[in-house]
Amino acid sequence: MANALKERPNFEPLPKAAASAIIQDGRYLPPPEDKDGKQWIRTSALVQASAEDLYTKWRDLESVPLWQEQIREVVQTGPKTSHWVMASGDKTIEWDSEILNDEPGRRIAWRSIAGDSNNAGEVIFEAATGGRGTIVIVLQEFRMGKLASAWETMTGRNPKQAVIENLRHFKAFAETGEIPRTQGQSHGPRGVIGKMKASLYGEDVKTPPTSERKVS
Amino acid sequence: MKAVCWMGTSKVETLDVPDPSLLNPHDAIIKVTRTAICGSDLHLFDGFIPTMEAGDILGHEFMGIVEEVGKGVTNLQRGDRVVVPFTIACGNCLFCKKKIWSACDNTNPNAHLMEMAYGYSGSGLFGYSHMMGGYAGGQAQYVRVPFANVGPLKVENDLPDEKVLFLSDIFPTGYMAAENAQIQEGDTVAVWGCGPVGQFAIASAFMLGAARVIAIDRLPERLELARSIGAITVDYSDEDVSVLTAVKDLTGGAGPDGCIDAVGLESHSTELQGVYDKIKTAVMLETDRPSVLRQAIQAVRKGGTLSIPGVYGGLLDKVPFGAAFGKGITMKMGQTNMHSYMKPLLDRIEKGQIDPTYIISHRIPLDEAPEMYKVWRDKREAVTKIVIDPWAARAA
Repeated sequence: MANALKERPNFEPLPKAAASAIIQDGRYLPPPEDKDGKQWIRTSALVQASAEDLYTKWRDLESVPLWQEQIREVVQTGPKTSHWVMASGDKTIEWDSEILNDEPGRRIAWRSIAGDSNNAGEVIFEAATGGRGTIVIVLQEFRMGKLASAWETMTGRNPKQAVIENLRHFKAFAETGEIPRTQGQSHGPRGVIGKMKASLYGEDVKTPPTSERKVS
Repeated sequence: MKAVCWMGTSKVETLDVPDPSLLNPHDAIIKVTRTAICGSDLHLFDGFIPTMEAGDILGHEFMGIVEEVGKGVTNLQRGDRVVVPFTIACGNCLFCKKKIWSACDNTNPNAHLMEMAYGYSGSGLFGYSHMMGGYAGGQAQYVRVPFANVGPLKVENDLPDEKVLFLSDIFPTGYMAAENAQIQEGDTVAVWGCGPVGQFAIASAFMLGAARVIAIDRLPERLELARSIGAITVDYSDEDVSVLTAVKDLTGGAGPDGCIDAVGLESHSTELQGVYDKIKTAVMLETDRPSVLRQAIQAVRKGGTLSIPGVYGGLLDKVPFGAAFGKGITMKMGQTNMHSYMKPLLDRIEKGQIDPTYIISHRIPLDEAPEMYKVWRDKREAVTKIVIDPWAARAA
């Protein structure tokens, strides 16, 4: 059986056990289920850039406010630790984070260690098959609590959607140097309903700035 | 500046709004010299496209003079005359690299809305609802053009604006429709819908080698335009006419080699209906009425090709898929990959192979646009194409 198919001209070997755990021993693994107060989100993007460049961009934590929504400031407090400030209007939450695993050009894993947040995550950079760029996979876990609820209240996005949007921003930023934006464009007078849809339309969700070092 | 704003179903107004400004490095601001009302704008006017909001500036067919460019735009400068494609593409994602420009990954700020409905999001569009990007459109005196390093085509000749304006949507859309019909030399092609896109599909079918084109519509002014460029016309509203019999009669019983549905979702009437519980509350999707699609599937010959430039948005009922399978037909469709067609079609215009102005019936100032939306929708005048000069004064 193992030799039944001999013609696979473009076959690429499967990962033995990808760190992202999307494929294991040739089987697809679904994302972890939400349970015991933990929420998981796994999302991925195909980006036209090298794994090395993307790793470098992601690892530059102090530049994260340029492409993640609502992150006001990140300060590197040690080789593996950083302080995060997330804000919307006059509401602010802060936490400290540490890098658990740092494999240049391949993987970064982190967790929060103190503050208003209880989260952990990893990002993987893998060559796409067929030389079609790099697949960036983000797996993030939240403990429901102040972070999740504050995040949802402030951004109008649930934290899972925020992870998806932030990866989308990262991809656009890496591929084009900007994030598509309608915030600040011209329009006629908005009706009542339009004003209520802040969480849906990019015109109202604060698009990360991509170019200034600090977001105000 | 003045701009045509969607203020609700059947409610369009020309209002004073703030001038646009550069928001991103690859933006340009264009002073609009000519724009147009598209048949697909009537879908917005009629309220069939979800996620429109009061205050949205309409218009996705426009051209003008570059007023200002962002620091990332090096290929354009102030004073350049450009035609702007209605789809916005980044030029760098996998889809742009494959030249499937309308599938660009990076230009829809509201991609999550499209993902809920379609699984994946296509590119952003100008002036065509928030789920399609929410970008302010070009029925205005000025417009912000994102990714201006990729989209706008410089027009460096002395042809009048009107001759090149339709490179912004309908000429490439009609051309891609003909290309999608996989026309071989000597083919007979049938085109449903002789509005602007249908007209350019007919013209392009001839340019790509069709021997005969059968044009199907009911409005005399459109049928006359189709005949003027060589098509055989079929008036489906004539009660003695069966379209299926007509296309058989005109092809010795074999059926057209290619069929083009240039009508789409509003072929007779449409009904607004929520789809999928998850998005019902946030994003209403329409259910389409695919009467032309059904007929075209029946009409196309065995092994033939069906090309669909007509816009569909939601779920379709009672599509004769058995006929499609039984005859082994090919179907090709989708938003136009504008960026691949604009330059080659500009060349055809410059060489005098086609004069796209033949479809224009009305030339109006911006202030008259709201009235003309009604006139066209209600078929109060013989409208084939409305071109707007945003700087012209209202006629006394």
